[in-house]
Amino acid sequence: MNVLTHLAQFFSPLGHYISYILAYLFETIFFIIFVMVVLVMMIYLFRKYMARLQLRIGPNRVGKFGLLQLIADSMKLVGKETILPKNRDDLPYKVAPVLVFLGLVLAFALLPYGDFFYIGSLTITHSGVSVILLFAAIAIMPVGELLAGVSSSNKYAVMGALRGVAKDVSFEIPMMISVLALVMMASGRTSSPLNLESLVSTQFIPYGIPEVIGLFVFFIAMVARASYSPFDMAESDSELVSGHSTEYTGMRFGLFYMGMFGSIFLGSMMVSLLYLGGYNGPFSSDAGFIYLLIKTMILVLISFTIWLSLPRIRIDKFVNMGWKYLLPISIINLIIAGFLTLGVGVL
Amino acid sequence: MMQDQKSKSNPDEWVELNMGPQHPSTHGVLRLKLKLDGEIVKDVEPIIGYLHRNAEKICELDYYCDAMMYFDRMDYVAAMNMEVGYLEAAEKLLGIPPPERAQWIRVVMAELSRIAAHLVWAGAYGLDLGMLTPFFYCFVEREKILDIFVEVSGSRQQVNYMSIGGVYQDFNDKIIAKIEAFLDQFPGKLEDIYKAFINNDIFISRTKGIGILEPEVAIDYGVTGPMLRASGIPYDIRKEEPYLVYDKINFDIPISHKKDNLARFIVRFEEMRQSVKIVKQAIKQIPEGPYFNPKSKKSLMIRLRGEGEYYARTESPKGEFGVYLVGDGGVKPYRIHVRSPSFKNLSVLPVLARDTMVADMVAISGTIDLVFGEVDR
Repeated sequence: MNVLTHLAQFFSPLGHYISYILAYLFETIFFIIFVMVVLVMMIYLFRKYMARLQLRIGPNRVGKFGLLQLIADSMKLVGKETILPKNRDDLPYKVAPVLVFLGLVLAFALLPYGDFFYIGSLTITHSGVSVILLFAAIAIMPVGELLAGVSSSNKYAVMGALRGVAKDVSFEIPMMISVLALVMMASGRTSSPLNLESLVSTQFIPYGIPEVIGLFVFFIAMVARASYSPFDMAESDSELVSGHSTEYTGMRFGLFYMGMFGSIFLGSMMVSLLYLGGYNGPFSSDAGFIYLLIKTMILVLISFTIWLSLPRIRIDKFVNMGWKYLLPISIINLIIAGFLTLGVGVL
Repeated sequence: MMQDQKSKSNPDEWVELNMGPQHPSTHGVLRLKLKLDGEIVKDVEPIIGYLHRNAEKICELDYYCDAMMYFDRMDYVAAMNMEVGYLEAAEKLLGIPPPERAQWIRVVMAELSRIAAHLVWAGAYGLDLGMLTPFFYCFVEREKILDIFVEVSGSRQQVNYMSIGGVYQDFNDKIIAKIEAFLDQFPGKLEDIYKAFINNDIFISRTKGIGILEPEVAIDYGVTGPMLRASGIPYDIRKEEPYLVYDKINFDIPISHKKDNLARFIVRFEEMRQSVKIVKQAIKQIPEGPYFNPKSKKSLMIRLRGEGEYYARTESPKGEFGVYLVGDGGVKPYRIHVRSPSFKNLSVLPVLARDTMVADMVAISGTIDLVFGEVDR
């Protein structure tokens, strides 16, 4: 049983086809509501947590504990005047924020969420190659950022986009290699190692324990993907104003902003799915979604702490780190994973 | 490889980037014209004047006692030091020396102000490098100093506390208790802030060996203050030519021979520790007596006349703050000129920033500690 069949059952008096069409429709709506709630919650949590770390109070005026502040803020963003740069490249300029957001939402749609008591499995997509699809969806986001930088005809934006490309190239290969190690390890136990659900359900021991190096590389890659400090060279506010999103206003800027917070949540969720056992928990498997959320939130708070306490690394040093350290150690990790899977046969 | 690229780059292909005056990292209204070869800064041209208020000329149109408030607004994060600087010149010109007690009070206030200014710098430098949190820890401590300022003068930043012949208000038990309470807890908090920076490998990699200022270059450009001392020259007006009662106080001049951004950072933090030491000594030694020279009664203030010319130098948090004052026997000064340390220090930025990366350029311009009220005046 999953969300879709529940919904189809609910609409079943309307006939087989109509009930499934409506079920798909409502599942999509629920999913988008989920993504929006996650984003708003992330921004609220970030502001409150940042305030706590910085000896401040944070939003507390609109609603109880400032809970409605984010809704007020997004209303403000929607209502803002859109200022367009005069020499923009019109189509890419307007498509770019949508692409970033689209990549984010697609990636969320591909994740397995585990079971939740009565509803059953919350996973939306059941594909045999969801790992590949997931990384393909994530790879859409840098395209949007690059387009935004190049099309807004601003030197800061172009430099931000170039830095972003240099950054993406240097961390994505180690990231993919460390995921490959996971797939290798899972291939000994399941016939479909490229499926995220089977990748998660084969973790009797979380992969983070035998694959510590992989966890390390992947976490760094996720920090760089979400591009917050120390890896925020692409939109470093003290150098490039705000990089590729310099010329954006209103809700277009809001999409970039949400893309950033969304990718922090997405990255944390991917780390907890791939390396920390995902929705596997100690007691009931019905509460899988809760376990996943708890693990994700812990990682999110760790990410926020990193963000708020570390200074920005220089772009050339990051590229050096990517090619000279992350890539070799991820290859070593791959070899270790090979030995663990085939040679030793322990795991 | 890198060398090859450098020699190949063609000046016609350099990108000209305009940084500021509205830019997050330019500390107010500095505008930098950068010539970029990719990420490498080939040329920097600082353009100033966006905060020019003609303060020196306005001072000449006003009475001697009224110039104070324009000085408050020069280095607005260290207003007390600016007042000390002006009064050093004005009191000699007008022949109204401040009583002993007022001098000690001025030392206490100037050093507290120096701590506050360096805290602002440390927080802003963290922001320049992308550290968001230390800023607030610095400002919480600064806020406690501003509370003391409110207690003595009624104002937080533009204090207007000192005046010709003394200070506006005497120290009472409440003020002294407040200062002592601050001094008790501050050194520990300062070490916490220091550790937040210095124990961070990324911070070290962003500052160590970057922005090297050779002592000869520093002297050529007239750089003073912590920047000069970080290049290994122990030049501090408080020791070289003691004013107020600095010769009766035991303190050290921190220097560093490393010459880079990190050295400037460490020197500024060490200066804060020394300032705490100075305030601790001074607060115990404040003598009894009048806090105001009876010759400069408030009702007579606008009738003060002076003749001659004086140049007074004091050590502001940014460096050597000089005030040149000419009187022609009238109630208004004939000429006031200010040697502002930030302005002189800024002039060395093109030398420091040449052939560095954009990120390093920001890190270097952060260590200069620019306050635009003072650069533009």
